[in-house]
Amino acid sequence: MEGITKFFAASGVLANDAVDLVVEEGEIHAVIGENGAGKSTLMKLLYGLEHADAGEITFRGEKVAIKDPFVANRLGIGMVHQHFKLVSDFTVAENVVLGSEPRARGPFIDRRSAVRDVSKVIEEHGFSVDAKRKVQDLTVGQMQQVEIVKMLYRNAELLILDEPTSVLTEQEIESLFNTLKNLLGRGKTIILITHKLEEVMQMSDRVTVMRDGKVVAVRDTKDVDKRELSRLMVGRDILLEVDRKPPTYGDPVLELKDVTIRCRGQGRPLLDRISFQVRSGELVGIAGVGGNGLAEIEDVIGGLRRATSGRIFLHGEDVTALGPEPLREVGLAYVPADRLRRGASLPTTVRENCIVTKHHDFLRTGILQKRGIRAFTERLIEHFSIDAVEGMPAGNLSGGNIQKMILARELAAETDFILFSEPTWGLDIASSQFVYEKMLELRQRGAGVLLISSNLDEILGLADTVLIMYRGRIVGRLENTESLSKEIIGEYMLGLRDDSQSPSAVASAEGSRG
Amino acid sequence: MDRKRIAGLLSSTTGLALTVGIAFVIVIILIFVLSKEPGRAIYYFFVGPFTKSYYFGNMLNQSIGLIFTGLGIAVAFRSSTFNLGGEGQAYAGAMAATVICLSLPSLTGIVGGTAAILGAIATGAFLAGLSGFFRMRWGTDQLISSFLISAAVILIVNYLVTGPLDDPTNSMLTTARIGQQYQFLRIFKPSKLDISIVFAVAAAIATYFFMQRSHWGYEMRMCGINREFSRYAGINVAKYLMVPMAISGGFHGLAGAVAVMGTHYRCLKGVTAGLGWNGIAVALIAKNNPVAVIPAALFFAYLDAGARAAMLHADVTFELAKIAQAVIFFLVTAQALYGFFTTRKRVAA
Amino acid sequence: MSNTSFPIPMLHSTIRIMAPFLLAAIGGLFTELAGMLNIALEGLMLIGAFFSVIFAAATGSLFLGIALGIVASVLAAYIFGFISLHLRANIFITGLATNVFAEGLTMVLAFQIFGNKGVIRFANLPRLPVLSNPSLQRIPVLGDILVGHNILVYVSWLMVVLASIVIYKTAFGLRVRGTGSNPGAVEATGLSPRRYRMYAILISGFTCGLAGAILSLQLGAYVPGVTAGRGWIALVAIYLGNKTPLGILIACIVFGFAESLSNYAQGVIDVPADFILAFPYIITVVAMIAYSMIRHYRLRGSER
Repeated sequence: MEGITKFFAASGVLANDAVDLVVEEGEIHAVIGENGAGKSTLMKLLYGLEHADAGEITFRGEKVAIKDPFVANRLGIGMVHQHFKLVSDFTVAENVVLGSEPRARGPFIDRRSAVRDVSKVIEEHGFSVDAKRKVQDLTVGQMQQVEIVKMLYRNAELLILDEPTSVLTEQEIESLFNTLKNLLGRGKTIILITHKLEEVMQMSDRVTVMRDGKVVAVRDTKDVDKRELSRLMVGRDILLEVDRKPPTYGDPVLELKDVTIRCRGQGRPLLDRISFQVRSGELVGIAGVGGNGLAEIEDVIGGLRRATSGRIFLHGEDVTALGPEPLREVGLAYVPADRLRRGASLPTTVRENCIVTKHHDFLRTGILQKRGIRAFTERLIEHFSIDAVEGMPAGNLSGGNIQKMILARELAAETDFILFSEPTWGLDIASSQFVYEKMLELRQRGAGVLLISSNLDEILGLADTVLIMYRGRIVGRLENTESLSKEIIGEYMLGLRDDSQSPSAVASAEGSRG
Repeated sequence: MDRKRIAGLLSSTTGLALTVGIAFVIVIILIFVLSKEPGRAIYYFFVGPFTKSYYFGNMLNQSIGLIFTGLGIAVAFRSSTFNLGGEGQAYAGAMAATVICLSLPSLTGIVGGTAAILGAIATGAFLAGLSGFFRMRWGTDQLISSFLISAAVILIVNYLVTGPLDDPTNSMLTTARIGQQYQFLRIFKPSKLDISIVFAVAAAIATYFFMQRSHWGYEMRMCGINREFSRYAGINVAKYLMVPMAISGGFHGLAGAVAVMGTHYRCLKGVTAGLGWNGIAVALIAKNNPVAVIPAALFFAYLDAGARAAMLHADVTFELAKIAQAVIFFLVTAQALYGFFTTRKRVAA
Repeated sequence: MSNTSFPIPMLHSTIRIMAPFLLAAIGGLFTELAGMLNIALEGLMLIGAFFSVIFAAATGSLFLGIALGIVASVLAAYIFGFISLHLRANIFITGLATNVFAEGLTMVLAFQIFGNKGVIRFANLPRLPVLSNPSLQRIPVLGDILVGHNILVYVSWLMVVLASIVIYKTAFGLRVRGTGSNPGAVEATGLSPRRYRMYAILISGFTCGLAGAILSLQLGAYVPGVTAGRGWIALVAIYLGNKTPLGILIACIVFGFAESLSNYAQGVIDVPADFILAFPYIITVVAMIAYSMIRHYRLRGSER
């Protein structure tokens, strides 16, 4: 691929800016970059799901125009999407053959040979799915296998995998990697999109690093180390410039006791006996890899999801059964991870976004007082230096300013407990810094702050106490002292260390329940 | 106002103009094909409603019901609730008003009339509220349940009109005539235009302020735009699956009452037919803005009045209006014509 | 009610009455499986009814009448599909538009051609051939119920079989179902979901045209608004039939029976016809609520 440029007019995003990518036959080529670096867009262009504004693609020495996935398939390019493209009420075989069905006569599908051919591909590559089962009954790892089978069935020679490990368990990741090595042995070429450095080091032959829609480096994997890659990815050595004063703890403001969420039909609970507290003046950080219960903790504290068992106390009050509205009355402020859908309403004006949690204060005999609302909003805009006008739709704001707006709104409630979930995800450095300062300010003021984040730098830089989640459980509780490092937290996050299984942890859990 | 907003407004206005233009062109073509005197038919179709005060008054009268049902749909759509049962709610409202008027023959107009109107509103609100309740409680599809309930209600009201409440002295399928004191004042004789047009306009303005400035209106709009956000922020989203439906049904019931008490003075079989469906079109043309519902309703009434005039003075039939209305219905949500919706959807990965 | 022969003619007419429901619902099944709520069935049927009888009378040929009726209905379906899919209009609103359009168009044309908007009778309209086979008719009960209908009734049963085969046995059916379940998955294989949606809409135009033809050719006349909500009931039958051809067949038998019952019940038992006509709507809404209740309580505990 050469000089690929893609501009999204609607969002004003230059997703790919004159990108060159060279993948050699028979290699595993990793494409890495942070969220929003343009990796996925580039791959969609290669697979024909999007069309480039400029540039050309050469495949096996020939210039090609890939106008849709059909053409890509015919050329021998297959793609496994991050979000699987499967019809859940179809069988595995039906999903695999969809679009290139074996025919018996005329329009009729030859079911038997479909199942047979698909089973053959499954067996050849040592997969563990049954061609006749419905996709909705499969595990996530098996669904991914179906996606790979789909490509192999179409004789794909170049396989694109978009963040394939993000939803898998450890064992599943291992088996995926074995599969990929196996495929490589059969002469296939693989593009692996990821933002996990481990995988790059472990799997790839060469690596292309992208940042802000541009390619910043192409290296042989054996010539680089993780430190260099991470520096290339973020463009600087990561380092948080925050001034964290020693904490002074007060009474607990939030306490969870044995909070559990079970999903029907799933063996492992999403949250498994979670117990911790946040004291006033304390910043507690919860770290973990996505899919290990972070989102559920956010929802359960925010009142958006009810715990199956266990208790939650906010300011000493039992709030286990309360929804968002009464929770806010008790004293909850909450900056959600999904700021574009949950945290803000993009088509609505900044003004109406700012008052949503406290519009009751502006009511006089059931009528919203326009003047008061305007003044309030303008005050927030000024104090938080938000680049916005109160009457403009929130959707016109940049990501950083939307987050500032949410922050301004939540902080205006002046509660003694605030929940932050992934507060700097996708933000630029200046905005992130702003968010960090505000969090520390709150802690200094004596509020209890809970930070849920998969960003370890953030956790290490800000938290007084670090909790680490793995598969729905808290596997580590650590004081944030000089000796604590990213490596240690990382080992907990990946399940390599687990304090909750040790006898002392079990005992203390028993004790707190009694 | 910022640029984006003006551009959006412009493209939505041109889209609407295009839609109406296409509808008119199709009507003109049809007239040329069908009529032996196309010039005359076209003249009366487009100018007819303004040639006689009788036509003009009737056109205004026709718009009253459409304003009410249009408002009902606009409120529901704004809140992302779907009321497809307008036909049944309006018809049931008409029947409720008639029954109340007939059973209270000796009350004064004000007292009994208020009771009849409130009864009609309550009936419509109840029917639509049911669908809201089912969705709130169990997540039942509102679109389909409201339609089904309405379809059943229409048949039951038909039964009442033609069965137990039928006026045997009248050859038409209708109930008896309501008392003199319940008949709204006609303000533009000889046309049927009555005083309720004032209420309709007032209701539109009131609804606008209700949606923009009131507590409930604000929360309803927030829920309509982004339910996840509203729930997170502590708005009782479940409640607003039902409340807008009930309000919507209330407006439809009111439209039914006005059709009886203002125009027909009795509940004929199918007295409100079309009010529900056309209310949807009116709300869509108005982009769910309550004040814009007034011109949109007038426009729909104008199409009807034009076709009626053309029928009386030329050799085309009244249903020509239906074709024009259908064309507008077809195109009013076509995003390809309204550029500003289309740019929204795609987001960079 | 002691008369034992009474149910037989009622069941016989059930079979006749249900044919248009069945055809419209089968067409609607395709659009439903392709992921679209098709409320245009009513209007498409009306167009089929009008044009088939007009053309049958004009040409004197039953076949041409039916064929041209279907052509008109498919054409209308194409407009409906084009505006919904290519101009990206809300399919629900365009469905309403199709119904209003059909109503307006048939009225306007009837008025222009015949000078009135009432029932139009045609003196020398060819009648639909009736299948009468004395030896088959001799089969007790079943023979009386199933034999002696016009051929289009049998065509409608054939369509159910045909639809089952197309939906479950062919590549086309798989793709249509895939489009409805997850258009993204279909798109990822290089197929165009929009194309399969359009095909489904055209199929619904075809079956609705045929359904309309049965209605008016059975009567031997064009009656304004002859469809009388049948398209809506067909839609209801799709839901009640759990979106399968067999389920739809059963639902249509129930509805056909209800209407037949109401025809016979008048004067015999004291249930007004309107109430019986309301029955399919009520039963469907109750079924829908029950369905959503079950789903709701099954999901509870996991989601809030």
